[in-house]
Amino acid sequence: MYQLEKVTKQFDRGLMAVDRVDLGIRRGERLAVIGPSGAGKTTLFRLLNLTIPLTSGRLSIAGQEVGALRGARLREHRRRIGTVYQQQNLVPRLRVIHNVLAGRLGAWSFLRAVRSLIRPTREDIRAAHAALSRVGIPEKLWARTDELSGGQQQRVAISRVLLQNPEVILADEPVSSVDPSLAHAIVRLLMDLSGTSGKTLIMNLHSVDLALAYFPRVVGFRDGRVAFDRSPAQVSDDLLVSLYAGSSPSHPTEESPDAEAAVRGCAPVFRPQ
Amino acid sequence: MRKPPSAAAPPFSDRSKARTSTLLGLAFLAAFLGSWHLAQIHPLALFEAEGRRNMARFLAGMFPPAHSPEFLLGLWRPLLETIQISVMGTVLAIVIGFPLGLLGTASLSHRGTLHDAELAGAPARRLGRMLPYVLARGVLSVFRCIPEFVWAFMFVRAVGLGPVPGVLAIGISYGGMLGKVYSEILENQGQQASEALQATGASRWKVLLYGMLPQALPQLVAYTLYRWECAVRASAVLGFVGAGGLGQQIELSMRMFNFNEVITLVLVLLLLVAAMDAFSARLRAALV
Repeated sequence: MYQLEKVTKQFDRGLMAVDRVDLGIRRGERLAVIGPSGAGKTTLFRLLNLTIPLTSGRLSIAGQEVGALRGARLREHRRRIGTVYQQQNLVPRLRVIHNVLAGRLGAWSFLRAVRSLIRPTREDIRAAHAALSRVGIPEKLWARTDELSGGQQQRVAISRVLLQNPEVILADEPVSSVDPSLAHAIVRLLMDLSGTSGKTLIMNLHSVDLALAYFPRVVGFRDGRVAFDRSPAQVSDDLLVSLYAGSSPSHPTEESPDAEAAVRGCAPVFRPQ
Repeated sequence: MRKPPSAAAPPFSDRSKARTSTLLGLAFLAAFLGSWHLAQIHPLALFEAEGRRNMARFLAGMFPPAHSPEFLLGLWRPLLETIQISVMGTVLAIVIGFPLGLLGTASLSHRGTLHDAELAGAPARRLGRMLPYVLARGVLSVFRCIPEFVWAFMFVRAVGLGPVPGVLAIGISYGGMLGKVYSEILENQGQQASEALQATGASRWKVLLYGMLPQALPQLVAYTLYRWECAVRASAVLGFVGAGGLGQQIELSMRMFNFNEVITLVLVLLLLVAAMDAFSARLRAALV
């Protein structure tokens, strides 16, 4: 689905956020990206969903290079990729139904979008209701979005992706703003949704636990580069320690005397041995 | 991520900051004293014999305020005219200000997340997007920099006395203000929701429709209502140059030295503004 060759993103201040990354992701594959905060994971996701342009390298989606796309062709490709964000990135003052239907914006004409905003058609209402039922909150269809809890808003964001019906789902730390019990439920939900329809799922996770428990392929990301890329059984504790080494704010250097303590001090939770 | 070593020292030390504010303070004082001298301000002029006599005549003439039934009934027309001028002027201002404000919003035309991928490595395209932006900003600033009073004066010459020049004057100068503030409000909406909407494949006009406008609506409405209140007051002033409404009545009564009518007219204006204030507060509360 994705082919990355020496993909690089350098920001204006010279910051090298993503540095010559090579990565291939097959259609229907499910993959977790883990790594310390500041590793460039979110930048990688914004490259993958065509929000920001790459500085150099080649990025292809389904065999087509997308680096130089503009206008309608760029939007067409964005439509094929659905994104769930860490902060839900919903429009708080809109009703839930409109935030869900916004998943259709890429497919709708401008006038159709205006019409739905003024008065959703029966078809619109049915589709939004069905999507909300799949994530378990159909009763919130007409609620104002800012009245919902964080977990409920994350479900609305997932419903928006359902309406968009993309080929790829990108989830950028979708569970870091919800409580742990809900985190499992949301990861499982995304796994189910992508599994039943054969969608590619790429999830950026803060929690090593969740990544190792659910995903057949785990990519470690550090300093803008791929540190490792293997199945969860092959991810050893040593690999994880060096992935997170020095990432705790109290140990800013790599020569930290107690790298393991640094790992425990920062957010990822280790799988029980 | 790799950061290059940051070499830039902070631009101001505390000491030079303190010196700057001392200099600014002195400059302000000089400007104030100069203005005092140039504008020939003599506060005591109000209390000299001549001034005292005029003041007394003016105040005595105000009481009792005019309250004969035929005068009060005659107020209906100018009162209605003032409301009409303010409403039509504000509507015209929205019609002018809203589209120009959209064109003059940088986050819609060329700056920020919505344009990162679109305009990367395409300077000609960026320039093409900036042209309408710069033009719209220019037109808006000409519209609002010329005071409504001056616009009214010109339109009275062009289309004659009556409410029409008042409407045009308010529409154009307030259109310039509304457009500027609309674009600033839209500019200040967070980009997160816009980015997510764009990622679904939505064009920037759809992002505006589903993200920026609904989010900014209360602020847009609140500012427009505030401008409408200002328009009521302005229409009174515009009456002085012949643009109809209560203002024209005040000017006529002034000229006839009928100060008792002036005070009644001013009271009516005060009530009108207070009523509109209450009305728009309710509207705002309903829209949060």
